[in-house]
Amino acid sequence: MRAVTLASIRAHLPRLIASTLAIVIAVGFVVATLVLNETSRATVLDAVGAPYVGADAVVTSDDGTGLDDELDRIAALDGVAAVDATWESGVQALLPGRTGQQYLLAESVADAPALRWQVVADGELPDAPGEIAVSERTGAAVGDTFPLTSFAPDGTERSSSVTVTGVVDLGGDPTSGIYGRVWGTAEQLRAWGAVDPTELRVAGADGVPAGDVVQQVGAALADRQVLVRTGTEQAEVEAARLTGDTMALTAVLLVFATVAVLVAGLVIANTFAVLLAQRTRELALLRCVGATARQVRRSVLGEAALTGLAASALGVLAGIGLAAGVSAVAEAADSPVPLSGLSVPLVAVVAGLAVGTATTLLAALAPARGATKVAPLAALRPVDPEPLRSRGGVLRLVLGLLLLVPGVLLMGVGVALADVLIALPGGALSFLGVVLLAQRAVPPVVGAVGRLAARLGGVPGRLAAGNATRNPRRTAATATALLIGVTLTTAMVVGAASTRATAQAGLAAQYPTDVIVQGDGTMPASLPGRLAEVDGVVAASSLTAATVTGPDGEETGVSGLDAATAAPVLRSTGDVPIPAAGEVVLPWWADSSWGIPAGGDVTFTAGGRTATLTALYGDVERPTLPVAELAALAPEAAVDTVWLRLADDADHTDVIDQVTDIAGAAMPFAFVTGMANERAAIDSVLDVLLLVVTGLLGVAVVIALIGVGNTLALSVVERRQENGLLRALGLTRTQLRGLLAWESALVAGVAALLGVLLGSFYGLVGVASVLGSYGELVLSMPWLQVGAIVLVATVAGLLASVLPARRAARTPPVAAIAG
Amino acid sequence: MPVPVMTVPGEQSESLSGAAVRAAGLRKTYGGGETAVHALAGVDVAFARGEFTAIMGPSGSGKSTLMHCLAGLDAATAGQVWLGDTELTSLRDDQLTALRRQRIGFVFQAFNLLPVLPARENIVLPMQLAGQRPDPVWFDDVVARLGLRERLGHRPHELSGGQQQRVAIARALLPRPDVVFADEPTGNLDSRSGAEVLGLLRSSVKETGQTVVMVTHDPSAAAYADRVVLLADGRLAGELTDPTAASVLDALRDLGA
Ligand SMILES: Nc1ncnc2c1ncn2[C@@H]1O[C@H](COP(=O)(O)OP(=O)(O)OP(=O)(O)O)[C@@H](O)[C@H]1O
Ligand SMILES: [Mg+2]
Repeated sequence: MRAVTLASIRAHLPRLIASTLAIVIAVGFVVATLVLNETSRATVLDAVGAPYVGADAVVTSDDGTGLDDELDRIAALDGVAAVDATWESGVQALLPGRTGQQYLLAESVADAPALRWQVVADGELPDAPGEIAVSERTGAAVGDTFPLTSFAPDGTERSSSVTVTGVVDLGGDPTSGIYGRVWGTAEQLRAWGAVDPTELRVAGADGVPAGDVVQQVGAALADRQVLVRTGTEQAEVEAARLTGDTMALTAVLLVFATVAVLVAGLVIANTFAVLLAQRTRELALLRCVGATARQVRRSVLGEAALTGLAASALGVLAGIGLAAGVSAVAEAADSPVPLSGLSVPLVAVVAGLAVGTATTLLAALAPARGATKVAPLAALRPVDPEPLRSRGGVLRLVLGLLLLVPGVLLMGVGVALADVLIALPGGALSFLGVVLLAQRAVPPVVGAVGRLAARLGGVPGRLAAGNATRNPRRTAATATALLIGVTLTTAMVVGAASTRATAQAGLAAQYPTDVIVQGDGTMPASLPGRLAEVDGVVAASSLTAATVTGPDGEETGVSGLDAATAAPVLRSTGDVPIPAAGEVVLPWWADSSWGIPAGGDVTFTAGGRTATLTALYGDVERPTLPVAELAALAPEAAVDTVWLRLADDADHTDVIDQVTDIAGAAMPFAFVTGMANERAAIDSVLDVLLLVVTGLLGVAVVIALIGVGNTLALSVVERRQENGLLRALGLTRTQLRGLLAWESALVAGVAALLGVLLGSFYGLVGVASVLGSYGELVLSMPWLQVGAIVLVATVAGLLASVLPARRAARTPPVAAIAG
Repeated sequence: MPVPVMTVPGEQSESLSGAAVRAAGLRKTYGGGETAVHALAGVDVAFARGEFTAIMGPSGSGKSTLMHCLAGLDAATAGQVWLGDTELTSLRDDQLTALRRQRIGFVFQAFNLLPVLPARENIVLPMQLAGQRPDPVWFDDVVARLGLRERLGHRPHELSGGQQQRVAIARALLPRPDVVFADEPTGNLDSRSGAEVLGLLRSSVKETGQTVVMVTHDPSAAAYADRVVLLADGRLAGELTDPTAASVLDALRDLGA
C-alpha cells in the first residue's frame, strides 16, 4: 500500500499543491506572528536593556532612598572596577523650532567609560553642568543652545540655558518616540531636582564573572532592602515591563491566525473530499483487487499527512519570509513598533509544522472515512451524489440548533444587560451553530439566487445554477469557508462604525466645541476674523464677556452668545443649550448658590440697568445670555472667547498649530483648548485598528477564495466529458468560461451575502453589549463598506474561476466521446 | 438510389452540390516520427442529402476519427471537409462551434446528456445556445415520434439507457441539421432498445429527408442504412448499397475483421 500512497501523491501532486496553498498561507500566518513577536521581544531587550548589558550588577530598591550612600562601599569591593548611580528627573525645555515648552526625561551619564551605554550618533556625551546630550526625538543638534526649566523638589522653578554636546541614538527603544530625553552629568541632574538615584550600576573588575560581582555586592548590602541582579537579568525585567502590551497584541494576532487555520481546515477538508470523490472508482478498484478498508484509509491518511507536512514546511518558510519583510519595512519606516533584525524561535517552526500537519490530517479524516466506505462494486457503477439527508446531516442539524438557539439567547441577554462577557460566549456558540447549519442553509439559497442568475445569464447562467447545486455538500463547504471570513470581517467593520459613532456622539455631547480660544482680557478686534479664515476652520463664533451683579448681590462674570453663529459651531446642543431671547443658561453651580430652579427668573444688574431672564441649566462655565441682551445690560462687554469648528477632514493638529500661532502672536497669553485632537485621535485609532483587523481577516478570506478556485478546478477535471459535450453541442469557449464564472460568482456571492448579513448582526450585537453600559448607544450601519465587501468577495470569486475556466475552455469537443 | 461520389482532392465539381458532407484527401496523424499513427491516411468520401450511411470497419480502423473530423469536433492534419458549401478546416473555433450547434446533430454511444438539465432542456440546448426558439409544432412532432412526451421533465439519471438515447436523438433532430452523426448509438443498448433507436433514425431519414451518418460495429444495425462505407487502416476499403446483415458480415469478413 505504501507504493500506492506514493504513486497517488505523485500522480495528484500539482493538484495537491494547489489545494494545500490554504495550509501554506495559514501556517505562514501563524509562524509570522510568532517570529514577529520574538523579534519584537529581542529588539526591546536590545534597546531597553542597553543600559544594563554593560553592567555586571544592578542594584535597585523600592524608592531608591539612600542608595548613593553605598557608592563608596561598593566601589571598595575587590571584584568591582566602577560603580555609578543613575539620577533621573523631569525638565521642560523650549526646543529649537518649537513654540511651546516640551517635557523631557533627564538622566545622568556615568563617569566611568565602562558604564556609559549611550550610543552617540553625533558629538559626545556631556562632561560638565550646562552641557547635555539629547535623543533624536528632541530634534536638537550639536551646538544648539536653549532655555530649560527645572523644578526643585519643593516645586520652585529654575531656568537655565544648556548647550547640546551630543545626540544619542536609542535604537529600537519603543519609548524613544514618546518623549524626548536629555542626559547631563550626575551633578547637573541633582541640580535639576533629582533627590535619590533610581539604581546603581556596577562594572566588575577584569575577569570577574557577573555572578561573583552580584554575590559580592549582595553580601555587602545584606543589611539593606535592595535587589541585586546581573545586568542581563535586569534587562529582561525592564523588557518584560514594556512588552506586556506586545504580548497582548500577539494573543490577538494568534486569534486571527486560529481563524485562518480553521478556514484552511475547511478548505482542505473540502479539497480532499472532492479529490477522493473523483477517485471513488480508483479506490473501489483497490478494494476489488483485495485491499482492506483499513489499508485504503491508511493510504489516504498517509497521503494527507505527507502533503500536510510538505505544505506546512513551505508555510514555515513563507512565514519567516513574511516576518523578515515586515521587520525590514518597519525598520526602514522608523515605525514605533520595535522590530529590527529577525529572531526565529524554534517553537515557531515546530508549532507551524505541527499545526499545519495536524489540521490537514484532521481535515482529511472525514473524507478518508467516507473513502473507506466505498464498496468494491462502486468501481463498476457510476457514483450518485451523496444525499443531503444523510445521518450525518441530521446530526449536524440537531447539533447546530443546539448551539445556535442557546447562543442567540445568551447574546440577547448580553445585549439586554449590556454585558459583553455574556454576549461573547453566546456569539461563539451561535457562530459554531451557524457553521454547522450552513451545510443545510447554503444550497437552497444558492438555488434561489441561481434561478435569478439563470434569468440573467442565459444558457451559461442556467447551467451554472444547476452545477452550483448539483453537489450541495461541496457547495456548502466551499461557501462556508468564505462565509466565516466575510462574517468576521463584516462584524469588525460594522462594530467599528458603531463604536466610532457612539464615541463621537458622546464626545460631541460632552465637548461640543472643537477649539476654544480664550484671551487674557479683551481680544484684539481683528483676531476672531483672522481665526475664522484659517484653512480647515469651517465656522467661528465670538463670545463677549462682562462683569455684572448676580441675584445674590455678588459680582459675576457672564458671557454673551450669538445664537446665529454659535449654532453651526456646536456639534451638539444636548449639554450646552443656546439661550433664546429672554433666556440665560446657568452653570450647574448656580443651582446651589443662587437657588434658582430651571424655568425660574434670574435678574442681573449692571450700572443701574437690569435684565430679568428665564433660567436654563447647561455645561457652561459662566452664565450665558444672548449677546444682544448682554450688550444692552453691559455696553462695555467685549469679545474674549472664540469658538471654532473644524472641517472633519482637516488635519486637526495642523489647524490647531496655526490657530495657536495666530492667537499667540496677537495675545501672548491666549489659551487654546478643545476636543478636535481627541476626536481626530479616536478616528485615526479606529481607522488603523480596522485596517489591521480587516487585513488579518483578509487572510482568511483569501484562503477561502483559494478554496472556491480549488473546488472549481476539481469540478472542471470531474466534468471534462460534460464540458466536451457542451462544446460539441455548440457552447463557445467564451460561454464555457462564462459558465464557470457564473458558478463561482454564485457560490462566492451567496457566501458573501449571508456572511454580511450574519456579520452585521454580530457586529451590532457586539457593540450593543460592549458599549451599552457606557451610555447612549448609536448604531451605525456602514452600507458602503458592507456593500463593498459583498462586491469584492464576489469579484474575487469571479477571479478565482479564471484559471479553472481557462483549463475548461481548453477541453476539446472530442472529450465528450473520448472521456 | 444515391451513388457514392469519389473526387480528386481540391477539385470543385458541380455534381457534388448534392452532397450534404464530403471530405477530400482527409488525413489525421497522431504523434510524430517513429511512433506516428495514421488514423486517417487520405480519405475521400461524400454523403448525399437524405441518405442514411453506416461506417464500418475493424477496431482501430479510424471510424471515430473520420466522424470527428467530418463533424468539426477535431481538426484534420491535412485535407478538406465540406458541409454543404462550407469548408470546415479553414474555420475558426467560434465559427466551428456555431456551425456545430446549428447545422450538425450528434448522438454518442454514452454520456449524451447534461446531468443537471431535465430532458426538455437537454433537447432544446443547442438551439438555445444559438439563441433560437424551437418551432413548437416541430418540437411536439419530434417528441411524439420519439415517445418522450411523458419524460420531458425528468433528469437523465431518471431515464433508462434507451430513453436517454432517444432524448439525444430528439436533440440532434430538433434544429433540422444538415447532417446527424451517430457514433455507435446502440452500443450500450439491448437489442430491443437498439432496434427502436435505429428505427427512429431510419424513419427520420425516410419521413423528413434527414441526412444521417452512423458508425457501428453491428451488421444488423448497418442493415438499417441505405449504404455502408467500409474503412480499414485509415483508408476506404469499399462500400455496399442496400446492405443486409448477411452482406455486411460477408464484406467485413473479407476485410479480415
Ligand atoms: N488521441 C489519440 N492519440 C493517439 N492515437 C490515437 C488517438 N485517438 C485515436 N488514436 C489511434 O487512431 C487509430 C484510429 O482510432 P479510432 O478511434 O478512429 O478507431 P475506431 O475505428 O473508432 O476504433 P473502435 O472501433 O475501436 O472505436 C487507432 O489506431 C487509435 O489507436
Ligand atoms: Mg470508435
